[in-house]
Amino acid sequence: MSTLTLTRRRGLAAAGWIGPVVRRLGAGLVVLWVAATAAYVALLLVPGDTVDVLIADGVDTPQRRAQIITEWGLDRPIPHQYGDYLLRLLHGDLGRSYVLQRDVAEILSSQIWPTVRLALTAAAFGVVIALVLALTTAGRRSWTTGLAGFSELTAASIPPFLAGLLLLAVFSFTLGWFPVSGDRGFASLVLPALALGLQIAGALGQVLREGLERALEEPFAVTARSRGITEWRLVARHALRHALLPAVTLTGWFVGVLLGGAIVVEAVFGRPGLGQITLGAVTGKDMPVVMAVIMFAAAIYVTVSTLVDLAYLAIDPRLRRSR
Amino acid sequence: MKVQKGILALVGVLTLAACGAETGAANTASGGEGGGAKGGSLVWAVETQPVTFNPQQWGQNKARLLVHNQFDALVARGKDGEFLPWLATSWEVSKDGLTYTFQLRKDVTFHDGEKFDAASVKANLDQLVAPGYNAAVAGIQLRNFSSAEVTDPYTLKVTLKAPDALFLDFLSSPYAGQVSPKSLKTAKDLKAGGPDLVGTGPFILDRFTPGQEVHYRRNPAYNWAPPNAAHQGPAYLEEITYRFLPEAAVRVGALTSGQVQVIEGVPATELGLLKADSSVKVETSLNSGSAFSYYFNISHPPFDDKRVREAFRDAVDVDTVLNSVYQGTAKRAWSIVGQGSPQFYDASLENTYGNNAQRANKLLDEAGWSKRDAEGFRVKDGKRLTVRSIESAPYVRDRRDVLAQAVQAAVKQSVGIDFQPKVVDQGTQQKALQDDQYELFQNSRGDTDAGAALNLILPKGAAINRTHYENAELDKLLAEASTTSDLAKRKEIYAKVQRIVVTDEALLLPLYVPADQVAYGAGVTGITFEPVSGTPNSAYDVRTGT
Repeated sequence: MSTLTLTRRRGLAAAGWIGPVVRRLGAGLVVLWVAATAAYVALLLVPGDTVDVLIADGVDTPQRRAQIITEWGLDRPIPHQYGDYLLRLLHGDLGRSYVLQRDVAEILSSQIWPTVRLALTAAAFGVVIALVLALTTAGRRSWTTGLAGFSELTAASIPPFLAGLLLLAVFSFTLGWFPVSGDRGFASLVLPALALGLQIAGALGQVLREGLERALEEPFAVTARSRGITEWRLVARHALRHALLPAVTLTGWFVGVLLGGAIVVEAVFGRPGLGQITLGAVTGKDMPVVMAVIMFAAAIYVTVSTLVDLAYLAIDPRLRRSR
Repeated sequence: MKVQKGILALVGVLTLAACGAETGAANTASGGEGGGAKGGSLVWAVETQPVTFNPQQWGQNKARLLVHNQFDALVARGKDGEFLPWLATSWEVSKDGLTYTFQLRKDVTFHDGEKFDAASVKANLDQLVAPGYNAAVAGIQLRNFSSAEVTDPYTLKVTLKAPDALFLDFLSSPYAGQVSPKSLKTAKDLKAGGPDLVGTGPFILDRFTPGQEVHYRRNPAYNWAPPNAAHQGPAYLEEITYRFLPEAAVRVGALTSGQVQVIEGVPATELGLLKADSSVKVETSLNSGSAFSYYFNISHPPFDDKRVREAFRDAVDVDTVLNSVYQGTAKRAWSIVGQGSPQFYDASLENTYGNNAQRANKLLDEAGWSKRDAEGFRVKDGKRLTVRSIESAPYVRDRRDVLAQAVQAAVKQSVGIDFQPKVVDQGTQQKALQDDQYELFQNSRGDTDAGAALNLILPKGAAINRTHYENAELDKLLAEASTTSDLAKRKEIYAKVQRIVVTDEALLLPLYVPADQVAYGAGVTGITFEPVSGTPNSAYDVRTGT
């Protein structure tokens, strides 16, 4: 094989990448635009005068009203306002909260890290618990499998609110192992992350085990067994790779669980974070913040699912051509 | 026997010695901070995170307990509602009620080292009426404020445009918490307040973590507590943390497991449990202001007819309903003014109405609502006797939604009224109010002066006159009560007002008096309530350990 053909092959491979990548990034932008538009339509549809809606419980003076009217261009026709709004979003300007008297971007950025920390720890807990359950029980057809299946179903069905209260009642109020609230080091992160991660562990565990069991019935498993491989090696080394693919697909769903659950878990455990901001904004009708949270959630979803899609392309070359 | 006694004696001596050592250590530890005050720290779990720490922007009754940690007002309130000196040592009111002359304390400094004097009080007042700063206070509480004048460094003359009986009440409210004029100019975020907006109070706010907690440390220089405080000098506690735990069950669990020492906001469902726990003390205090009541909208049928209003009131057995919802922990209200405002409450209204389904049915028959439809509801001219109540979700607290369901069942069963309580978002509620699409509205006000609540609800065109009731004589009485500062005379006028709206006009169904509950663990002392507002006091007198 000459160097020339190799280079051409690489070039072809790169070309094969560009199309799907551009398509997916484009689709992501469309989703963001739809989310921004939906948030804007919601603002228009909320009953009451738009200035009233934006000002909510903030200080209400004629000057403030005039300022809001200029900032949001409310004295101009709606298509014009909408254009301005999109333009501002493009510049990264998320607006101003008239309730909290601060820029929305500043509010979100100051609260983002506690939530990210909580979500990542919850995800790690969820994945580890799911892996351990699935690997130790898959294909064993004993009462442990039944028990694991049952606990996964339970974990997947308990809402984070209840899980949080139960965990608190046992490990904090009764045993006193973990503090009840706040964001003070790892000990205070364990219970909220568990409350949030249990649902993921349950659902992911079920999918993983089903994948493992299916993989164990495939011909390659028989071949591997005939080579004299131990059952543990078979499950952990060979079957797991097959079972992981459908599990990766769940990532999108899991980001949703983490974002939605964080709102509840942060309130139960008295932790700072985006969830508290969202809850406060929704109950206080702080529309600029609510709209920014919608945009933020959409951006996270789009980023994660684009990354997952691109990861597929990296894993499976066939997908680059077929899509 | 002898040996045993000896051992006991020895143990006793050792214990004493240990105690001595402990107190000795505590003394040296706090000795540096002066005053010989006890040290210690405390964690207090509260339900609500304040929207702002700037007292001039304050608006949440649930956040009132934080304000006076950091800020002192000019005037304090005694247990009978009398005005006591605080940062103002004395004041004189001119005969016409238009000029107030305040003598101020000379030994007070703000947390940032600035001196407190007449100029700083003037700066605070001027800030409050600055355009775009606090329109509500400028337009309501300070509507009669004309100007403040520094006549000597510690004397301030305030001139009003019209006599105002509520002016001193205002100066004792959180809004009048004195803020360092320097920090009013330099604070990074003036409206939100925080560590850089400072006062003269017994504690210094040094850390605020949104969504989690706010932390205060003791102000060692503090020596200007109001005369009715339990002690003078610096606060007992070296530091105090207020942790925000919106979930009631979590607050209770945190208290019973000793992770926090005090909790505020104990739900009725948990009260019994806590009261059974001997190591936990629970204290309840009725809030001042108006009682939580159902007000009737008289602008259209059916409540334009007084007989229907009386019938609705008589149809409910309030005691039974309150018992089923709050398990005997709610205080029944009888008037528009709650029992938490004893200065103005007219107790003669008690047991003058209510729980008389027979009379209610008779009244409704007389009013023309005599027929019933298939579901058992009363009808007139083909229209059902429907009563809609549109409430905005953020304002529904104390299980008022459950209470509404209990009332709904009661009026349906006893007289056949179709009561439809709805909880909606704020915009929808505003629209319903604008379009007059409601027959009943629910309200309670936590004003320290119940008169302020009445002024907002009753006069023609008042901010929350959603009953659409108009009565020139009543308006005159309310105006008179607002300008006179003679407490006995005000009480007499407000008694007349209560009789008009409760007895003569049956304008409302008073239900219960909102209350604050505080529960605390063993060893905590000094938890008290503000005498007039009925909300928990600051942490100034609180201490831990015995």
